[in-house]
Amino acid sequence: MRVIRVVGQVLAVLAVFLLLRWLYGNLVTNSQLRGLSLDFGFLGRPTQFQIPYHDEFDPRSPVFAMVLVGVKNTLLAGAFGIALASVLGLIVGVARLSENWLVAQLSSWYVEFFRNIPPLLVIIFFAFAVFLYGPFPNLREAILVGLPWGDGNLLMFSNEEWGVPSLAATGNLAMFSILALVSVVVAIGVWWWRTTVNRDTGAPHHRVLWSLGVLLGLLVVSYVILGGPFEMSWPTPSENRRRIVNGFALNAGFMSVAGALGLYTASHVAEIIRGSIQAVSGGQIEAANALALSSFQRYRFILLPQAMRIALPPYINQCLNLVKNTSLAAAVGYSEITNLTQTSIGNGRPAVPSIVVLMVVYLCFSLVISFILNIVNRRMQLVTR
Amino acid sequence: MTTSEIFADATESKGEAVIEVDGVDKYFGDFQALEDINMRVGLQEVVVVIGPSGSGKSTLIRCINRLEKHDRGRIAVHGIELSDDVRNIQEIRRETGMVFQQFNLFPHLTVLENITLAPREVRRMPKKEAEDLAMEQLTRVKIPEQARKYPGQLSGGQQQRVAIARALAMRPKVMLFDEPTSALDPEMIKEVLDVMVELAEAGMTMIVVTHEMGFARAVADRVVFMSDGQIVEVGTPQHFFTDPREERTKLFLSQIL
Amino acid sequence: MTSVESRPPPTLDRRNALAWAAHRLFPNVRSGILTVILIPLLGYLAYRVFLFVAVNGRWEVVERNLTLFMQGTFPRDEQWRIVAQIVLLALAAGIGAGTASASAHDRAIEAGLPFTRSGSLDLIRRFWSVIGFVLILLYFASTTTPWLVAAGTVASFVVGLAARFLPTSWRNVGWALMALALVAGFQVVSGTSGRAWIISAVLVALGLLSVVSFEGLAKGWARLGGRTAVALGASAVVFLIYSNVVDPGVGWDAWSGLHLTLWVSALAIVLSFPLGLMLALARRSSLPALRGLATGYIELIRGVPLITLLFMGQFILVFMLPTGSNLSDISRAIAAMTLFTAAYVAEIVRGGLQSLPTGQTEAGQALGLAPPTTMRKIILPQALRAVIPAMVGQFISLFKDSTLLLIIAINEFLGVRSLVHAQADFRAVAHAETLVFAAFGYWAFSYAMSKESQRLEHRLRVGER
Repeated sequence: MRVIRVVGQVLAVLAVFLLLRWLYGNLVTNSQLRGLSLDFGFLGRPTQFQIPYHDEFDPRSPVFAMVLVGVKNTLLAGAFGIALASVLGLIVGVARLSENWLVAQLSSWYVEFFRNIPPLLVIIFFAFAVFLYGPFPNLREAILVGLPWGDGNLLMFSNEEWGVPSLAATGNLAMFSILALVSVVVAIGVWWWRTTVNRDTGAPHHRVLWSLGVLLGLLVVSYVILGGPFEMSWPTPSENRRRIVNGFALNAGFMSVAGALGLYTASHVAEIIRGSIQAVSGGQIEAANALALSSFQRYRFILLPQAMRIALPPYINQCLNLVKNTSLAAAVGYSEITNLTQTSIGNGRPAVPSIVVLMVVYLCFSLVISFILNIVNRRMQLVTR
Repeated sequence: MTTSEIFADATESKGEAVIEVDGVDKYFGDFQALEDINMRVGLQEVVVVIGPSGSGKSTLIRCINRLEKHDRGRIAVHGIELSDDVRNIQEIRRETGMVFQQFNLFPHLTVLENITLAPREVRRMPKKEAEDLAMEQLTRVKIPEQARKYPGQLSGGQQQRVAIARALAMRPKVMLFDEPTSALDPEMIKEVLDVMVELAEAGMTMIVVTHEMGFARAVADRVVFMSDGQIVEVGTPQHFFTDPREERTKLFLSQIL
Repeated sequence: MTSVESRPPPTLDRRNALAWAAHRLFPNVRSGILTVILIPLLGYLAYRVFLFVAVNGRWEVVERNLTLFMQGTFPRDEQWRIVAQIVLLALAAGIGAGTASASAHDRAIEAGLPFTRSGSLDLIRRFWSVIGFVLILLYFASTTTPWLVAAGTVASFVVGLAARFLPTSWRNVGWALMALALVAGFQVVSGTSGRAWIISAVLVALGLLSVVSFEGLAKGWARLGGRTAVALGASAVVFLIYSNVVDPGVGWDAWSGLHLTLWVSALAIVLSFPLGLMLALARRSSLPALRGLATGYIELIRGVPLITLLFMGQFILVFMLPTGSNLSDISRAIAAMTLFTAAYVAEIVRGGLQSLPTGQTEAGQALGLAPPTTMRKIILPQALRAVIPAMVGQFISLFKDSTLLLIIAINEFLGVRSLVHAQADFRAVAHAETLVFAAFGYWAFSYAMSKESQRLEHRLRVGER
């Protein structure tokens, strides 16, 4: 009977292989019949379309360059989205357990609302109802929030781009970067020193304050020494009032995707955090109280470390989901990799290899994040025996 | 101890050997769980296996119905030798009944369905006949009224008795008990042991791994003491409790008696 | 920091309302300040929302386009099919609910367990969001037809519930009737043909077959009868799916709106289940090649976003079939979604299988049961029952993910907006209104389903000792 089982499984594997071969064979035949290519040579040929809001991108650059731009934009939206989702999720998650009924209810409504609507809908809502057809005026008549001192704008608001201040290099930025790196190293040294002091003498280390203070001080000193290697760059409308120059221009697509996904994913993160805090057994709280720890100390030393351990794997999973969800930007014209691939195929690039490239890109993200997740899991297990 | 020394101490097995274990070794990776085990269990004999945890007693009886695979030596049940042949294994499992420490009842089936499942699937009994058989076994373990309940509604003692009835419904030649009362609350141990005593007095061949010395004293024909994967001493219950020979045996008995 | 407590709020009693407010809203100074800030803020927000919903909102965009939202561009003269479908599906749901309730009742009585039947008030409380959404739809309706349809649906559901009065030996007839109603409900929108009636007849025959009690006979005959019934049923289902997806019916390419959303989600989850189950079992197989293939597939699918698979479905899938075959856009999308969901279902089932204690398998082995029997009678029933909440969660995800179809130009409930706003009157206006309306629709269904899943999970856990 065991032989039958093994034979059966071998047959199943064989059947799958034959099926795959048949599918691939059809693919090759049909592609040849229609004169479509299946190779990756298209990556070297010119893109032939302009990427919106990327004036510096030359349509003659190879498709491969377009892919890189797409990846960069995906990661950008992903990073901001994760940051927003984490902060907001933490707040809402902890608020859910508040003893204030109003606070707890509000966060509960937030979670129950965002968890049950499609993320694409939130993105489209931002892109269309908030920005494109929303209360903000055209870029030509953008709302300008002036600087309280003299000329220039602090902020610009329009329905397709927002302008925020940024830093522009005027002098020796390279030197400043080196000095900044040195400051960071010194700050780490201060951290270690304060930790040692605390270990040897029992005095409170205040290491966060110390290292941050040292870091800030050294940065200020470097700035002064180099005579101001950078300055504030305020956003200003361009000559033809169709672009924002200087400052940092956030386009509506980016803000929709990052903002919407941040809000949506925050609801999941909030549930994870709430669940993980509640999962720490009540006995821990009782033991902490019996040891006369304050409420803050109880959170800092007992509850949060254990809760974080429980929350970390599902949290990392949500981060991966957020990065995958940036692909929804294809519906609102933010130029991340899926959107660009769709446009590229529409412009005549071969579909099969383009989609394969797209999937490989996302697989790389997933693999990296899974790898991190595995390391985290293993480290947590080591620590808890 | 050599084989002959072991048997010199044991009482003569009553009649033909139902279970034969010859020179059995078992390893878990590098760890040796069983070392040169030799044992014969005769028809209608009740053998109680005692020993400290980690001594290999559970491993031994789990090897008999192939829940674990022995690495060296020979195990035979009712003349059928245990090998890799699946048909052999199935035949042996039909002839042996096992009662687990954790009961392992099927929570999604009623008590009656738990007991009739194997007779209907393995012995191809029609439903009515299987149910009659099941009720007969339930009466034997004294809980016929629980037939339509789910395991989750019963107490631990009742669940274990259902497990015994489930094993008995297959009409096995041998019953294997793997610490049947260790997971029970003290007040429920007696009801399970009573059933096991009745079973022994009715003539069932049994191998029981347990700490319950009262049970051993009452019905065991032989007691086997194992430690560190070896059989250290074999004898009648009286021999054990009045004059054990080995040092290890004396140490163990002083800890539990 | 606020303290971590999860006791239920004290009941609101008229005498104690003040005490409750003091305890829950102003337990300490910091909390009190929060309350004082939040209440006026919330009040202002509620005021603005009220203005939007009741005063300023241009809701005629929904009123005038209600048919578009509901059934998209389904041919107008065949609309009766959709009505017939809704009524038939309600009937099937009623029969199913009635039969399931009756058999659960019987088993509970025999086991001496308490059994509470859900009253209509209870049902309203559980599904208030969906009922609310339907009422809002009716509010926007400009003709009486929707009202009649709604009444008809409720009526046929109630009629179906009468199945609970069937005697126990006729229970299987109940299930067969439910299957019949489901098939008819699907066939009526896909076009009636001789095939459909043959399949229905087969299903009725199956029902009758299982009614005849084989239990008195020796096990061999009962087994043969059971296996024949299962084989017939399975082949009927496969044929049904094949004939409707590959050779679809009325205006398959014109299906859009809420109708399409519901159908795509339902089809994808039903089709993905057997595939996912097979993948989960393959992943546990002892043969490394099978295990590797299954794991590879699952990890690949879970690593990419659904939209890439939808692209693949649109552009590549047809090329993998013999030259000259063609699939409608919607069929390609359903295929992609099925392949996607199957990987997640496989992981869910795998989790369920792993959660079972090994003692269960050992007990089955010790009793002499063959491995396939152990899997069928002991492992799978428990594992699948345990993962029902997770499966409902996956269905909710699938339901929300159906919105991705609008990226590949298939207009489901959210995508119909592009048709609405293509009209001259609504080109640049009322975007918020349509979005809010669509959001409410999705929210109503998802919320109800997730609450049901939580309820089920709670009941499963309560059942354990």
